[in-house]
Amino acid sequence: MADTLTLFTSIGLSEQKAKETMKNEALSSALKEAVTQAQRVHGASGVDKAMGTLLYNMASRLKDAKRLAFLADSIVQRKICTELQLAAALDFVKSHPQDPINQKEFEEACGVGVVITPEQIEDAVESVIKKHKEQLLKERYHFNMGLLMGEARSALKWADGKVIKNEVDMQVLHLLGPKTEADLEKKPKVKVADNKVSTGEVKSLMEQLRGEALKFHKPGENFKTEGYVVTPNTMSLLKKHLDLTGGQIRTRFPPEPNGILHIGHAKAINFNFGYAKANNGICFLRYDDTNPEKEEEKYFTAIKDMVEWLGYKPYAVTHASDNFQQLYDLAVDLIRRGHAYVCHQRGEELKGHNAPPSPWRDRPIEESLVLFERMKKGLFAEGEATLRMKMVMEDGKMDPVAYRIKYTPHHRTGDEWCIYPTYDYTHCLCDSIENITHSLCTKEFQARRSSYYWLCNALDVYCPVQWEYGRLNLTYTVVSKRKIIKLVETGVVRDWDDPRLFTLTALRRRGFPPEAINNFCARVGVTVSQTTTEPHLLESCVRDVLNDTAPRAMAVLEPLKVTITNLPEDSQVYVRVPDFPANEAKGSHMVPFTCTIFIEQSDFREVMEKGYKRLTPEQPVGLRHAGYVISVQKVIKDAQGNVVELEVNCCRSETAEKPKAFIHWVSKPLTCEVRLYERLFLHKHPEDPSEVPNGFLSDINPNSLQVISSALVDTSVKGAKVFDKFQFERVGYFSLDPDSTADKLIFNRTVTLKEDPGKI
Amino acid sequence: MGDPVTDYTARLQQQEREIQSLSAEIESLKNPQDLSSSPRLDELREENAKLKYRLNILKRSLQEERTYCSKSMMNINQRLQEVFGEAIRASCPELDNPPLAVTPNQQAKFGDYQCNSAMAMAQMLKAKGIKVNPREIAEKIVQNLPDNELTQKTEIAGPGFINIHLKRSFVSKLLSNLLINGVQPPPLASKKRVVVDFSSPNIAKEMHVGHLRSTIIGESMSRLFEFLGHDVLRLNHVGDWGTQFGMLIAHLQDKFPDYLTVSPPISDLQAFYKESKKRFDEEEDFKKRAYQCVVRLQSKEPDFIKAWNLICDVSRREFQKVYDCLDIQIIERGESFYQEMMTEVVKEFEEKGLLQLDEGRKVVFVPGQPIPLTVVKSDGGYTYDTSDLAAIRQRIFDEKADVIIYVTDSGQGTHFQVVFAAAQMIGWYDPQVTRVEHAGFGVVLGEDKKKFKTRSGDTVRLMDLLEEGLKRSMDKLKEKERDKVLSQEELIKAQRSVAFGCIKYADLSHNRINDYVFSFDKMLDDRGNTAAYLLYAFTRIRSIARLANIDEATLRKAAETTEVILDHDKEWKLGKCILRFPEILQKILDDLLLHTLCDYLYELATTFTEFYDSCYCVEKDRQTGEVVKVNMWRMLLCEATAAVMAKGFDILGINPVQRM
Repeated sequence: MADTLTLFTSIGLSEQKAKETMKNEALSSALKEAVTQAQRVHGASGVDKAMGTLLYNMASRLKDAKRLAFLADSIVQRKICTELQLAAALDFVKSHPQDPINQKEFEEACGVGVVITPEQIEDAVESVIKKHKEQLLKERYHFNMGLLMGEARSALKWADGKVIKNEVDMQVLHLLGPKTEADLEKKPKVKVADNKVSTGEVKSLMEQLRGEALKFHKPGENFKTEGYVVTPNTMSLLKKHLDLTGGQIRTRFPPEPNGILHIGHAKAINFNFGYAKANNGICFLRYDDTNPEKEEEKYFTAIKDMVEWLGYKPYAVTHASDNFQQLYDLAVDLIRRGHAYVCHQRGEELKGHNAPPSPWRDRPIEESLVLFERMKKGLFAEGEATLRMKMVMEDGKMDPVAYRIKYTPHHRTGDEWCIYPTYDYTHCLCDSIENITHSLCTKEFQARRSSYYWLCNALDVYCPVQWEYGRLNLTYTVVSKRKIIKLVETGVVRDWDDPRLFTLTALRRRGFPPEAINNFCARVGVTVSQTTTEPHLLESCVRDVLNDTAPRAMAVLEPLKVTITNLPEDSQVYVRVPDFPANEAKGSHMVPFTCTIFIEQSDFREVMEKGYKRLTPEQPVGLRHAGYVISVQKVIKDAQGNVVELEVNCCRSETAEKPKAFIHWVSKPLTCEVRLYERLFLHKHPEDPSEVPNGFLSDINPNSLQVISSALVDTSVKGAKVFDKFQFERVGYFSLDPDSTADKLIFNRTVTLKEDPGKI
Repeated sequence: MGDPVTDYTARLQQQEREIQSLSAEIESLKNPQDLSSSPRLDELREENAKLKYRLNILKRSLQEERTYCSKSMMNINQRLQEVFGEAIRASCPELDNPPLAVTPNQQAKFGDYQCNSAMAMAQMLKAKGIKVNPREIAEKIVQNLPDNELTQKTEIAGPGFINIHLKRSFVSKLLSNLLINGVQPPPLASKKRVVVDFSSPNIAKEMHVGHLRSTIIGESMSRLFEFLGHDVLRLNHVGDWGTQFGMLIAHLQDKFPDYLTVSPPISDLQAFYKESKKRFDEEEDFKKRAYQCVVRLQSKEPDFIKAWNLICDVSRREFQKVYDCLDIQIIERGESFYQEMMTEVVKEFEEKGLLQLDEGRKVVFVPGQPIPLTVVKSDGGYTYDTSDLAAIRQRIFDEKADVIIYVTDSGQGTHFQVVFAAAQMIGWYDPQVTRVEHAGFGVVLGEDKKKFKTRSGDTVRLMDLLEEGLKRSMDKLKEKERDKVLSQEELIKAQRSVAFGCIKYADLSHNRINDYVFSFDKMLDDRGNTAAYLLYAFTRIRSIARLANIDEATLRKAAETTEVILDHDKEWKLGKCILRFPEILQKILDDLLLHTLCDYLYELATTFTEFYDSCYCVEKDRQTGEVVKVNMWRMLLCEATAAVMAKGFDILGINPVQRM
């Protein structure tokens, strides 16, 4: 211990720093090795602080331990003397993961032996200042001096930054003289009146995904990614991969076709398709259909529908099962290479942690080959044999299963196979076969990254890079297939596309526009961290889109009949209603206006209340778009004393006093069904037992669905098609439900107009 | 009396109602909606679906294995039976067990094979009261033929024969496989443990021609089973126990008192036996002592065991000479081996209440068998019945035999039938599972059609017979002046090959059940179905390639690259004949009649001759005799013929030579 401490302080580390370093075992042992190497050349006290710092920085930043000795040597021999050179050296070894290192190229790339004289620096700075002289004289010290240094530096790649800065400072001082009062004043911040920033406070998805925004590797430079495993074959495989793809980015969206996509998948779709689209790449839609028991035709088409609905077009639709033969051949190869064996442990034996290691792990290769063939030929019963890969997963799980026996026909391969590959085995190999550059997946799969790389490398096939991103979780809902089935079975919701759910079909049915979902994904961002988001963020995205796209209409959910007594009974005029009042140029439609109209019951009160701005016996109210103001003449009640009709007088709004409020109305309307939704669950995390001890089924919001069977809607919605969207003035955004018939339209309320409805 | 019209109307209506209610009931039974499906039922249904799925996979794998993956030779006949079996079942589902008859065709104009099931099926249907023209059935069968790799076309001929033409490409491919992989046995359904009990001479007695038959047939059967991939145990059930050893030991003690330290020079055990027998019959003292010796031998006194071993060894040496000549592999396990077990056997029969006392003997009556087995004599001794029961029991339980074959003369047939029946009765084996068979054979006759004897009327000593064979074979070779062509070594080799090959082949080429006439003249004739002819034919085929200067490597390479063309009639005939080898073996496996293999080899040799006479393998310049052109595919046909013949010889235990 003490020795290590002395060793570290001897190269100029402070005692505290040295102690901290010792806590990091990996770093500590690397540094120890490097310092020992240095001391062998320069003696126990011959390593100066500059060299020490370089050694320390090298040890802490180097990813590939096998290059430690090489870089340490370069530092010790004073080939690498500056931070700049070190950075270049680290970069160089990262991009040249394979032996041997070409010494000449390395030294060239790191500027070894390049000597920069003060005169060179002087000249360089002088020419830069000359170039910007005019601007400099104008702006004086407000000029961005960084620019000068940057340019000087790029002219003299290996010059010491400090020396350049001193030179710049000196020459600027020489040119401008000392700072004046004005120079010391803060430069007024220029208001950025950028539209982009004001309209969307987030960058568009494409912008987020474009270029180097994500720090993803370039195609073919897989080895530059941290954690990527380089084998002697890596470079030639990458070259072949590049030849094949031409350096194009290739991603894939790989759902299992065993359920309906939900909002979480929307992120995966956006990420995979979006990243490819933003970078002129291609994206595959690959059905991960390796499990024959779970697949149904309807899921395949539903998935493709949803991808297309979100506005993406797969480069190709592929199936993992397309590769069954190739996967089988690779499995045979894997056995031949000694990396897999046939095991007879039962499923039960392998459950849970600390499963006993397989007694068949070391059986002869020949034996496994024969047995694997027998598995394929049907000589074992289900569960009697599996093919397992010889590797330990991150979570300590030993030897994951690659193939298991299932006497079940497959949706696409029929009765051809009775052994089926697992996810762990199939996924990376299908990625490899399709030459995927970036295998994007959610963070749960981080634990399988090493097995991903291991398998590709064990077979010497091209190995894509796995990148993980945070999963998108929404509160107040459940998305798991099993739970949704429960909800459907117990009759809580009608089906998979019940608008209260967050499956993509449900959202479509509810009226969520795909753009809104994509925008939502953009807002959530493509961060690595897991995000839990409340539904209102999604709803606000929906409002943003619908505000511009859903034309206005008027609907009265709880009608109150109003007879206008001072209009002739048979009078009928048409009133022009703009589709988008904010932009009348976008069109308008006509609605009839007669002496009988209907208003919301809540828009009339018999007794005046302070702050109530709508119709009372004493207070007139304006009718939207009609150009009339009405005032109550007579309140007609039924036997129970409920108000059933009003008789009113109207007058043109130009002549009347300006009313305190305008309300919507309908006349000669269509009777429609309207379905109003609230969130399905009462609690934020219905699956969390601490919040909902009796399980998510006990947490259903009894008011999540309200059906109004005879709402009155103006005639402009007549002839609307399924999923057509409207803004019913003052009521909310609505979308036409597929349940609608020619006789009866049914509308789903997509969202209310404002986040918090219910203000009086 | 009411109005009969009203009456009848009422009755009619009543009946109508009944009909309606019955129809309703039938309908409801047809659509059993009420049968609520229990979870157990669902489980079983699912399991059933999975099993069906697996069955399908297994069937397909089996077929693939047969066709592509394995190096095995395909049994074309069997494959055709499968294909036609499927078609027959599909075209006549009403028959439970429709007859399946597919056989090779001798006349080329009727195709290569023919299926004759339609006629028998029509008969069966007729018995069921359904009248169908067999031609119609044949048409149906043809319609229902599944896709398969081997048939080219079929035609219906006569009353309902289906003539089958094989695909030439398919036959050609099989021939290529044969050339590449060598002559391999057809796929083995399951490897069986096979015990063959043969030869079985008696100690201290001479081996005679009866033993010769057993030895030759047993050896050849063992070789057949081994070639097919089974695990064969060859047992020599020698007669090495019994009262005669008492007098032999007593005589030995008298003649060679120091027998324990110095090995007695008995060269003629036969004479020694005679001497002791004489004393036994004449000297009362000796007789007494002989009995004592039996008792002391049975109680395993070391000195007596030693004496017994000495006597047995003399015989063994004699037997071995014969076995060496005939190239026989066999393990000696004589009657003495089963002595202890016999007590057990008697006890087991006793405990199961299967023993009956009959005048002091203990006997076992087996239902359906006329004679009982005597398991204990009135003096308490055991019999052949007892030792054969002990042996079969040991072979079933200790050797775990799936197949046991006894090769002895047909005269012992009845005895073995009773032993087998007793073993089944006591539950040692189930004939459905274990195959126990007596492969009997007829007696050897002299050329006078009487029992084979020497001129002086003695039984023929086997060694003498073999030596005479060698002499005659050499005479024949010299007669043909082969001694001027072959080296001394080659000549001796040819002599042995011909002599022993002919003796064996003469025996094997006759249906073993019949008696056969032993004639050196006939067996050494190089015309007709003899080993001499086949050996000459074989060396001639082998020499074709040699004379064309084509070495083995070239042939091997050609097998992989050259397609075997079968356009010429004789090529086609030969190709098909070569490929019948597996079906011949299968037939022998079923009936244990080895002469079928001899007939086949003879047919192959003659078919080859036909081919060779009409198809040039090597074309030579008429003047210079130089090789102008080699028709490689025909060389391959020669090679395939030779390969199959060599394997056939091997199974028959005949050693062909390169030159003769």
